[in-house]
Amino acid sequence: MIQLTQETKSGWCVVGVRGRADAEAADELENALRAALESHPKVAADLALLDYISSAGLRAVLQAARAAQAKNAEFAVCSLSPPVKKVFDMSGLHQILRIQGELPC
Amino acid sequence: MWHNQAILTDADVVLNGRLDALKALVAETTQFCRENSLGDDAVAELNLVLEELFTNSIRHGGCAGMQNAVRIRLQLQDDGVHLEYSDRGVPYDPLRAPPPQLATPLEQRRLGGLGLHLVRQLVCDLEYRRDGNWNRITMRRPTESRRSV
Repeated sequence: MIQLTQETKSGWCVVGVRGRADAEAADELENALRAALESHPKVAADLALLDYISSAGLRAVLQAARAAQAKNAEFAVCSLSPPVKKVFDMSGLHQILRIQGELPC
Repeated sequence: MWHNQAILTDADVVLNGRLDALKALVAETTQFCRENSLGDDAVAELNLVLEELFTNSIRHGGCAGMQNAVRIRLQLQDDGVHLEYSDRGVPYDPLRAPPPQLATPLEQRRLGGLGLHLVRQLVCDLEYRRDGNWNRITMRRPTESRRSV
C-alpha cells in the first residue's frame, strides 16, 4: 500500500511517498514521479514517511531520475527513513542519485 | 522431552503466483517475527529477501498465474532465521546471476540483478538445488549479535 501526494513549495514540486514501495506499488510510484517531472523542472521525492522499499521501488526511483536527466530537470530524493536508507545504501544507488537528508525547499 | 526454552513457532506459507500475494507474505512474515520476539529489522529484512525471490519467480521463473506456485518455510534457530524458499518455476539457480555494476553511471546502469544483490547482502549460507519440479533455495538470516554489520 502506497500513498502519494503532490505539492509545490518554493519552486519545487514535492512528491510525498508514504507506506510501502514494493513490487505491487512500484508502477504507481514511477508514474507519480514521471507525472511531476512532466510539468515541473524541479522535483523532490519526500520519503520521510516511506517505511519499506524493495528493488522494484528502487527501480521506480531510478527510472524517474533517468527521465529527469533526459530533460535536464532537477530530481532529488529526500528525508529517507533509516530502514529505507539502509536499502538505498546496499543498492549502491546513493552513489548515482542526488540524495539529501532534508527537502531542498 | 522438556526443552528449557520458549516454544518457537515456525512458519509455512504457500502463495499463488500473483503480485497481490505479497500482502499475505508480509502478514505471515510479520506474524512469524512477532511470535518469535524478533524486531522490526528482522521483519523488514525477511520481507525484503522474500519479496525479491517471489517477484523473481513471477517475472522470470514462469510462476505468473500459477496456483500454489511458491512455498516458504521459516524457522528460528540459535544462529538465526533459517529460510527455505521453493517455487515450481523453470529451473533457475539465482546464485549464478551476475552481480550488478553498482558504480555504473545513471544512464548506463542496468535495471536487473538488483533484487538478488540485496538478498545476498542480507542472508548467508545461500544454497540452491533442483528437487523434482521445485527450485529450492535455503539460506539463513544471522542472529543480530553474530552479524558483522
